[in-house]
Amino acid sequence: MFERERVAVYLAARSLARGSRTSLALNVAIIGLVFTNMILLPSIISGSVELFNEQSIDYQTSDIQVRPTEGYQYIDRIDTLLETANRAPGVRRASARYGMGATLSARNRSVSVPVNAIDPRNEVEVTRIHERMKDGEFFSGGERGEVLIGQYVAGNEDTRKDFLASLGGVAVGERIEIVFASGARREYVVKGIFETGSYIADYAAFITWDELESVVGTEVDEATEVLVRADRGADVNVVRTALLDAGVQEEAKTWREAISSTVEESLETFGIIISISTMVSLVIATVVIFIVITIKAMNQRRQIAILKAIGIHRSIIVRSYVIQVLAICALGTAFGLAMVGLLGVWFTAHPLVFPDGVVVPRFEAAALVENTVWLFAVSVVAGLIPAWRITRENILSAMKAA
Amino acid sequence: MIRVDDLQKTYRMGAVEVRALAGVSLAVRQGEFIGITGPSGSGKSTLLHLIGLLDEPSGGSIAIQGVDVGSLTDDERTHFRLTRIGYIFQDYALVPDLTALENVVLPTLAFGRSESEGIVRATDLLRRVGLAERTRHLPAELSGGEQQRIAIARALVNAPALLLADEPTANLDSRASAMVLDLIASINRELGQTVLMVSHEESHRRYFGREVQLYDGAIVDGSHAASDEAG
Repeated sequence: MFERERVAVYLAARSLARGSRTSLALNVAIIGLVFTNMILLPSIISGSVELFNEQSIDYQTSDIQVRPTEGYQYIDRIDTLLETANRAPGVRRASARYGMGATLSARNRSVSVPVNAIDPRNEVEVTRIHERMKDGEFFSGGERGEVLIGQYVAGNEDTRKDFLASLGGVAVGERIEIVFASGARREYVVKGIFETGSYIADYAAFITWDELESVVGTEVDEATEVLVRADRGADVNVVRTALLDAGVQEEAKTWREAISSTVEESLETFGIIISISTMVSLVIATVVIFIVITIKAMNQRRQIAILKAIGIHRSIIVRSYVIQVLAICALGTAFGLAMVGLLGVWFTAHPLVFPDGVVVPRFEAAALVENTVWLFAVSVVAGLIPAWRITRENILSAMKAA
Repeated sequence: MIRVDDLQKTYRMGAVEVRALAGVSLAVRQGEFIGITGPSGSGKSTLLHLIGLLDEPSGGSIAIQGVDVGSLTDDERTHFRLTRIGYIFQDYALVPDLTALENVVLPTLAFGRSESEGIVRATDLLRRVGLAERTRHLPAELSGGEQQRIAIARALVNAPALLLADEPTANLDSRASAMVLDLIASINRELGQTVLMVSHEESHRRYFGREVQLYDGAIVDGSHAASDEAG
């Protein structure tokens, strides 16, 4: 058992050890770079997705988002709902938001963005916007006549730098006018400008719940959404179920469910890009290995013929080439892993800066294993075919031709 | 030991058919040292290749130790070469990536022997061919005569029934040639090894126990030893 493999290893080991070191190093480097390429792009995309998820949780949806039942615009009796939610096991805090369409004007410029009314004491427990103040301060309580605006709403004085329509670089302390969809018109002082990195979060404004009631002219006991933060380490699916069990009858979605409709298509697109990138890398690896083994076997036609002539079975010779391919692949993968490790250290120290925020490539063990398996599989096939083909040649023809 | 009957080999070179062997019959007894001689193109090497199972005849049959080798599958032919035939080529045909010792050990591993057993056998044979001190050298580091002696050791390492040598001294100087031929002759004499050797050198005749002369693909002298003793 394994007699042929034993002889194949004997031949392969000596061929690798005594063959051209330069050629071996180049082959290993190519496989290593292919492996790195297979890992790097998906890891950057994974990092971006991770960033998007974190931004969604921290600045938009919190862990669980409760929205009005289908067909309704508002969640009624919000105080009761908040009490119910806050009593549910696993819930750290629930916070209501009342979103309104509005047009903000300053410096002869106008932008239409959502304005959310919040209770600051609850909001700081469910999102982290208060930690991301670029200028000024977050609300401390029931401020009236003040507004927080996102960095993209404030914009730049040189509006050519803006991605979106802005107020032309409005600063903390400046007055802006807000016209609500209801028709109410108020003037506010900018209390703070926040910078979360998320386009969606940073293109919005906040007023306090007290200010909302002032605008509406009455006490407001309804909301457009309730954000719920789960206890640290709690399973959000379990907490969501607990909310429903506690009597929350509105539509409660985990953050993943809440953003899925928005990002599902993006994730599919990312998936396609990753697949194409992986395919291209595998094709490169296949072609490289195929050419390397074809050239090697062609150059060793006479040697192959000699081996056959002295009674070494063809399958042993083919296996010796496949073993050499596996060794090159193993060394290449090790080299690639080292490269990936170094890139990981580098990107941790120097993260990629995207408009949405800072992305650290996320190297996933599953992707490493999967890509390694693919690389080995295509390499074996790419090495097997030329070796199998060339070892079929007639012994005397090969000895004479070489 | 060997019985060759009406062996024919025809090559096709484009539209032209070249008859390399035209019905050769030959019998070889165990322990004989047979020299196959003849002018260039007489079919010497073709006959050796067919007996060595490196090529297939167009007609006729070959039986070695009672086995009709024409009936063997490709795998069986490979195994037959490994276990019953030792081949010495004109240009040594060593594996360049293997040392002298490894070249000799390799067939023992393919035979199924352990590496340690193979090393013992190979070392003994290398000592016998006078290369005990050169076992770790690669072929490129050895002279032609030394390489050919390694090839002899490799050919003998699985104790084959038949040793085939195809002009083994063609690339050697007279001193190295004499050394190689003396070695083959001593192996034949001392071990009773059956040897078939192709040569076109007059001076080699003194080594042969019997000479088979070929001319235009046919035996013109020397097939008379075919007798009932053969087989």
